Amino acid sequence: MITIKNEYLPEKMKPIRFRMETDDTYTIVFSKRTMSHAGQFYMLSVDGVGESPISVASGFGNPLTFSIKAVGSVTKYIMDHRDSAIGLRGPYGNAWPWKGADHIVAIAGGIGIPPIKALIEDMESEGNLGDLTVLYGARSPKDIVYKNEIEAWKKELDFRITVDNGDPSWKGNVGVVTTLIPGVERYKNGSAFVIGPPIMMKFSVQELIKHGFSPENIYLSLERRMECGIGVCGHCNIGQWYVCESGPIFRYSDVMNEPEVFL
Amino acid sequence: MIYELTEKDMERLLQKIGEEYDVFGSKEELGEVVFSKISSFSEVSEKKSSYSPKDFLIKRSENILEIPRVEKKAVFGVKSCDLRGFYLMDLQILNKDPFYTVRRQNTLFINFVCTEKCPGGFCTSFGGPVLDDYDIQVLHIGQSYFVEADPRYEGYLAGFRPALDQDVFVKHSEEFNRKYGKIELNGIEKRMKWSSKLWTEFANYCISCGACNYSCPTCYCIDVYDDETGRKKEWDSCILEGFTRTAAGNVRPDLSDRLRQRFYHKFKYYKLSKGEYLCTGCNRCVDDCPVDIDIKEVITHDYDKE
Repeated sequence: MITIKNEYLPEKMKPIRFRMETDDTYTIVFSKRTMSHAGQFYMLSVDGVGESPISVASGFGNPLTFSIKAVGSVTKYIMDHRDSAIGLRGPYGNAWPWKGADHIVAIAGGIGIPPIKALIEDMESEGNLGDLTVLYGARSPKDIVYKNEIEAWKKELDFRITVDNGDPSWKGNVGVVTTLIPGVERYKNGSAFVIGPPIMMKFSVQELIKHGFSPENIYLSLERRMECGIGVCGHCNIGQWYVCESGPIFRYSDVMNEPEVFL
Repeated sequence: MIYELTEKDMERLLQKIGEEYDVFGSKEELGEVVFSKISSFSEVSEKKSSYSPKDFLIKRSENILEIPRVEKKAVFGVKSCDLRGFYLMDLQILNKDPFYTVRRQNTLFINFVCTEKCPGGFCTSFGGPVLDDYDIQVLHIGQSYFVEADPRYEGYLAGFRPALDQDVFVKHSEEFNRKYGKIELNGIEKRMKWSSKLWTEFANYCISCGACNYSCPTCYCIDVYDDETGRKKEWDSCILEGFTRTAAGNVRPDLSDRLRQRFYHKFKYYKLSKGEYLCTGCNRCVDDCPVDIDIKEVITHDYDKE
C-alpha cells in the first residue's frame, strides 16, 4: 500500500494575537514561525466555511502573520470568531525577486500592503533597507493598515504614503498611488514590485513605463480565484500559467501580451 | 512483444488479473454502456461507453480531508481516446493531486483499439486509436485479440502465444489513419484569434450547462468548497460564470470569454505549457452538447479571413 501525503489537509491552529487594523482589516499572528519568503501565500481555512489564499505578512523566520481584509465568507468568519482554529497549508507560490536587484520601488495599493511588509522584514534581516522605496496608497486615512509600523518604517527606509481622499486631520499626500511615481524616477534602472487592485496595477505599470522603468524590471503580484494552491483546480490561469504555480509574482514583460492580465 | 490471444485466452487473462485487482469493464446495462464490476470477459462490451471513465481517477465529488483506502482496480474496455485523456491530465496533476495520484497508481487500464471510427470522432488528428503509452492495449481483429503490455504488466502475458506479426499495431494504425484521414490541426495554437467572432457566435446558443466539461476525458478542473459534511472537491466547469469570480471582479464575465478560455486551454495554453493539445478527438463534448457546439469548428475555422 502506497502512502501519500494529503496536500489538502491543513495544519490547524489558533492565532496567538489578533489586532484590528481598520474597520474591516485585521492582523492575525501564529506562534509558528514562517518558512516562507515575502510574496508567497498560504491557504487559510475554516471547517464548514471554506478556504482562501492569503499572502504572508511576515519576514522569513518571524512569527507567521497575515493581514486580511474581510470581504468573503472565510475572511469575515475569522474576524467574527477570533477564537476559532484556522487551517493552514503552504507556503505556496514564488517570492519577490529582491536579491541582487538594484534599488527596488515597491508600490502597494489597499490590501496589497501585507506582502510588502514581509518584503521590508526580509530585506531588513539582510541589512538591505537602504535599497528599498515603498509607495503605499490607501483609500482614506482610516483605511491605512500598519499605522504603528509605518511610523517606524519611515525612520528606516524611504516610505511614502498617499490617500485617495483625505480628511481634515490628514497632512500628507492626497491622490492615487500613481501620483507618487514621478518622484521615484531616479530609480528607473531598478526594479518595481507592484501589488494591489487590478486597476491600480494597470495604471502603475503605465506610469512606471512612462517614467523610464523597463517592462523586464517590473514585477506584478497577480490575484486570481484559487481553490487548491497547487496547480490542480484549474481556476487561476493567466494564459498558459497557473498563478499558484508560476506566480503569484510575474515579470511584466512575460505576461504583458496576455489580454486577461489586469482583469 | 505482441501476443495473439483467443477469446478464451482473454478470459484467462482477466481471471489472472482478477487475482490482484477488482475487475471492472464497459458493459451494456439498460441500453447504456457503463463501467461496472464484471467477473467474465464475455461481459465486456467493445462499444464506446456512454461516459468517459474519468471518475475512476477523479470522483465527481469527494471529501478531501482524508485520502480513502484505494483498492486496486483493473478496467477492461476503455477506449484509446479516453485513456489518452489520463496521460494528458498526468502532465498537469499527477503527483500534485494526491487523490488522482493514488488512484492512478492503483488502476490498470486495458484499452481497446477501435477498428472503425466512431461518428464524429477525430482521434486521427491526435495520432489515432493505437497508443504509444498504455498499460495493456488490445486490438480485436476477427477471432484474434492482439495484446501488448507496458513492461510493468508484461508478466500477465507470460505463457500466451506471441503473435507471428509483430507489426500488427503499427499496420493497423497506418491503415486506420489512412482510411479515415484527419482534420489538420495546422498550428491551431498560433491560428486561433482572441477577437474571433466564433466565441460570440457559440455564446449565442451555449446554455452554460457544463456538459462539455463533464463529458471530456481531459477536463480536470475541480471546485473546492466546504459544506456541513466537510471540505469537498467536485468536478467543475470553466463555462460557469462563478469559475473565476473573485472579490476583485471577474476576469471572464461574458460567456464568450469563458468559451474562448475552454478552447484556448485545449488548443493553445496546454500546448505551450505541456507540449500537447488537451483533446483526444473523442467527440464526447459534441455528442453531449444540447445545442450542437462542435469543437471541430474551432480547428477548421478560417481565422485569417476575419
